[in-house]
Parts: sequence; C-alpha cells; structure tokens
Amino acid sequence: MSAVATNLWTIPLFVIIPIITAILLNLLYNKSRTIKVIAIASSIVLFVLALISPYGFQWFTGQPGVTPGGTYTFDASIFSYRLSLEYYFGGLQQILITIMSLLLVFVVFLSASSLRKNIGPYIALIFLLFMSSAIIIMVNDFYHLWIGVEMGSLLLAGVVAASGESISQKAALKYTFFSALSGAGMAIALAMILGVTGYSNITNAIQYIMSDNLSSLSGVLYIAFGFFVLSWIYAGGLAPIHPLKSDVYGSAFPHATVMLQTQSKLMIVAMGLIILRLFGTLPFAREVMLSVSVLTMIMGVTMALIQTDLRWTLAYLVVAHSGLVTLGISLGTVQGITGGLFQAVNDIVYMSVLLICCEAVMYFGKGTSIKTVGGIAKRAPWLALAVVIGAFAASGVPPFNGFQSEIILIQASLSSGLPEVAAIVLMVSVTTFIALFKPIYNIFLKPDNSPIAMEGDAGAGIATMAMVQPTSPVPKSIYLFLAILIAIIIVLGVYPQLALGFVQDTAIKVVYFPWVP
Amino acid sequence: MGSIESLYDKIKNFTAQFFGGKGFSSTMTGYTTAELQASVFLLVLASLFRIFSVPLGIILVIAAIAGVIVFAPLIVTLERENESDLNRVLFWVVIYFAIIIAVTMWGR
Repeated sequence: MSAVATNLWTIPLFVIIPIITAILLNLLYNKSRTIKVIAIASSIVLFVLALISPYGFQWFTGQPGVTPGGTYTFDASIFSYRLSLEYYFGGLQQILITIMSLLLVFVVFLSASSLRKNIGPYIALIFLLFMSSAIIIMVNDFYHLWIGVEMGSLLLAGVVAASGESISQKAALKYTFFSALSGAGMAIALAMILGVTGYSNITNAIQYIMSDNLSSLSGVLYIAFGFFVLSWIYAGGLAPIHPLKSDVYGSAFPHATVMLQTQSKLMIVAMGLIILRLFGTLPFAREVMLSVSVLTMIMGVTMALIQTDLRWTLAYLVVAHSGLVTLGISLGTVQGITGGLFQAVNDIVYMSVLLICCEAVMYFGKGTSIKTVGGIAKRAPWLALAVVIGAFAASGVPPFNGFQSEIILIQASLSSGLPEVAAIVLMVSVTTFIALFKPIYNIFLKPDNSPIAMEGDAGAGIATMAMVQPTSPVPKSIYLFLAILIAIIIVLGVYPQLALGFVQDTAIKVVYFPWVP
Repeated sequence: MGSIESLYDKIKNFTAQFFGGKGFSSTMTGYTTAELQASVFLLVLASLFRIFSVPLGIILVIAAIAGVIVFAPLIVTLERENESDLNRVLFWVVIYFAIIIAVTMWGR
C-alpha cells in the first residue's frame, strides 16, 4: 500500500461521518427505529472504510510542504516543513480503528435495543467519542492532538453522565474537573514545544529537536515532558488518576464502557508514542513512564481483588491492563512497543467480551454484585462459557490472545534487563485470574439462593433500571457479538502474526525513525 | 528450631489480630489475597531500585519488609488512598507531578 498520498480520501470520512451521524441522531431524538437504522448503517460504513482504506497522509487546508531548498511539494515522501494540519493512516491506525468501528456496531445495536429514552443524544455521543479517538490515533500535529484529547475527555464525561444515575453523573463531573487541569497542562506542554522548536507539526518538531543544539533550552523541554505526561496519565486513567477513571468505567452502562475503554487505549497508545518520539532521548523519560505504568498495574489489580461487583472488578482491571499497554511502550524497544501495541489490541477485544457478558448478566434483573446474583450458568450456559473464555484471555492463558501479547511483554522486559518488571507482568496476569474468578464463581457457578429478584444492585446503585426491564431475556444479538469477539480472541491467540504485522512497522519507526509518523 | 517456631507464632498471632470474624467470606478472601499481593508488589518494586544502585535496592527491600510487617494490613491504607475524592486525587497528582519533574531535571 502506498504511504505517500497527501490527500487520502478516507481520513476525513472518519471524522465527518460520525459528526453527521451524531447531528442526525440528535435531531431524531427518540425515534428509536430510525435511529437504529441510521446508526448501524453509519457504523458499518466506518468499519468497511477502516478495512479497505489504503495508507497515506491527509494535509488539511491544502497547504504544500516547504522543502529546505525553498520549493513547495505535496509529496509526503519528500522531506519538507509541513504548514498544514496533518493526519496519517497506517497499519496501527487501521487495526485500531477497524476494531473500534466493529465495537461501535455492537455498542450502537446494544444501546438502541436496551435504552428506553434519550436514545438519539446518547448514541450521538458515542459516535462523537469514536470520532475523537480516530482523530487522536491519526493526528501528527499538536493542535489537533490537543483538540482531540479535550473533546475526548468531555465526550467521555457526556457518555457517562447520560447513563442517568446520580453515581454516574458524579463520576463524570469529577472526571471533568480534572480535564481542566490536564487540558491546560497539555496546552502548556505544546506551547513550550512550539516555543522551543517553532513547529506545530510533530514530525518537524522532532527533527528540530534531534538536529539542533537545544542545551540552553533543554530545561523547557523537561517541563514540557512533565506536563505532557500529566495529560497522558489523565487521558489514559493511569495512576494516580485511576480512581476517577475506574469510577467512570464502573458507573457507565457496560456497553458504553466498551467504547470508553477502547477510547482510553487509543489515547494512551497515541500519546505514549508521541511522548516517546519527542522525549525518548531525555534522561529518565522512559523510567518515569515505566514507573507510572507499573504503579497503574499494581493499583488496578490490587483494587480489583477487593471488589464484590463484577462491574467494578472489570473497571479496575481495565485500568490495570492499561498499565500493561503503557509498560510495553515505556520500555522503548521494538519488542516492547510491539508487545504494548499488541496488548492494546488484545485488551480492547477481551475486555469487550467481559463487559458485554456483564451487560448480559444485568438482564437477569439482580444487578452484577456477587451478593445478589447467582446460578447464571444454569440458565445461560453459553454466557458462562463466554465469560470464562474472556477471563482466560485476560489472564494470559494460552491459546487465547492475551497470552501472546503478555509473553512478548515479559520477553521484552527480560531483554531490557528488567526481570522485576517481567515478574510484575506475570503477577498481574495471575491476579487478574483470581480477581475475575471470584465474581465468575459467585455469579455464574454458585447456586442462586436469593428468593427475591431485585431490580438493581444496591452496592453498585447504577443504571440497571434505566436500561432494561428486570428479568427480560438476554437478546440473541449479545450471543452473536460475543461469538464474533471470541473468534477474534482465538484467531489472534493462534495466529498473532495477523495483528503483529500491523503494529511492528510502527514500533520500528518509533525506535529508529521517530520523526516518521 | 524453637526460635523459628516462636518467630512464626509471633508473626501468625500478629497478623491474625487483623482478621476477626468469619475469615472465608468472598469479601474477606478478596482482602486477604489483596494484602498478600500488595506486600509482594511492594517488595518487587523496592528491588527495582537496584537499577540505580544495588545497595539502595537492598536497603529498600529491607525497609519494605519492615514496612509490610509494621504497617499491615496494607490493603486498608491502599484502599483509603484509592478513594476518588477530588482532594485526595489532586494531592497525589501534585506529588506525582513534582516527582516526575524532579527526577527528569535531576537527569540533566
């Protein structure tokens, strides 16, 4: 595939189609049948676009690049100072956007089937969330990066608040408070980089930093790094922001959390790679990123162990596994980055299986707490099988996909001379297994002894009632979506090369040619 | 052997006082497992500092062992510090930011 097209036609469509769909859905408001048709059609179009799109650049505003000789060019393969806002669509972008658009189809279908009011605005927010994620993963200029992160944070809060319960609105509000701090931090970081280098294009800024003597200004870069990492921590829900992020995951509808966790993974990948490309040569930059990753994993799994509700267990595990993704990126080696990116792909898929299973449990009308629900395996054996496979994949059990990426991360840690980090990755896998099998045993395998069917779990106190009628049958579509996702888990577990082919190029470029997007 | 048994008994009695009541409920087993995990994580983290200096790593591991015994149960503190109060999160964000900047600037 060619990577030099400067006006790749598919790139603007990933932004425009979700916006137009969101406007239409908002206007239709509660006309559920029409909303369902438009939303599903639109998400399928996005999925097909991601699947068939060639690779290339999009230079918005149509300005050409200026070569060092003073001539102009529209050819992205020729070195030039790029005045326009730049997006890039390559292998990494393709696999992540394809998976996200596939999940968008499922989430749109599930929300249109289960919600009873405000369907239009709610699904519109989900489409805009997709758009912000697509922007962040494709962007190669600071302006759009900042805009994408800001929009993503606010839209995330919007989706959570739209769950309609006080606990979710509180979580959304708390998260939004911090977006002011983090957004400002990122703006300061970008302003500093812009001030030092004079370029808003990330490629040009990296080239300037690498080729010019910045010794008198390096202090500015260090401060910019600090602010950038702060913003990365916020966007990805890494430690110490993880309590807010887990609140957000736990208090949204599980199907919404599928999109929220996917968006977070895309954000930490995109921003993590930019930090590595820009600041990878600064002393202790990778160590700082590694420390944040390790603490996130430890906090996430430890807190997951003490939860008594499947939703909250998953909320903390999503946080912990974000740490696995950032760990790989932080190692800064080709193997480490490949493992981190592959882990992001796998994590999105197996966490989606677990979250959709969690949503299905809510259809039995007793919430998702281990104290109120039990005996689901007898009533829904296929659901029990799906949740067990999801748990095995998340715990890194072969032949599922989690095993393949976690083994790469362990090998990368050992190759980097960090056996302690490898031990922590191993412990996170084992602890994930323990943390997941406590609710799985209680909810699916243990006989149901409670005589009264409750509508919502008092412990979680969330959106069960607003979403589905108590004890309504689990929709057949949930089983279909689970079957597709489990097929992906098994295929990637048996043939990891299918995904590795998409992410390895990015890892090589980040390490050896950091200026190339 | 007597001295080993007495140390074992001492630690067993010391840790047992934190776990009153029914010790095998789902919640209790979760907390116990998390306590053990947190302790091991802390020790592994302390040992990571050997990448800066091996003696520093050894001292920190010994300090971590002492800390685990003295401050047990760790999970209660960890749970409290993981609450999502804005003040608490903001406090930790400021601490993290200060450490990140200090460490990076130190690397100059």
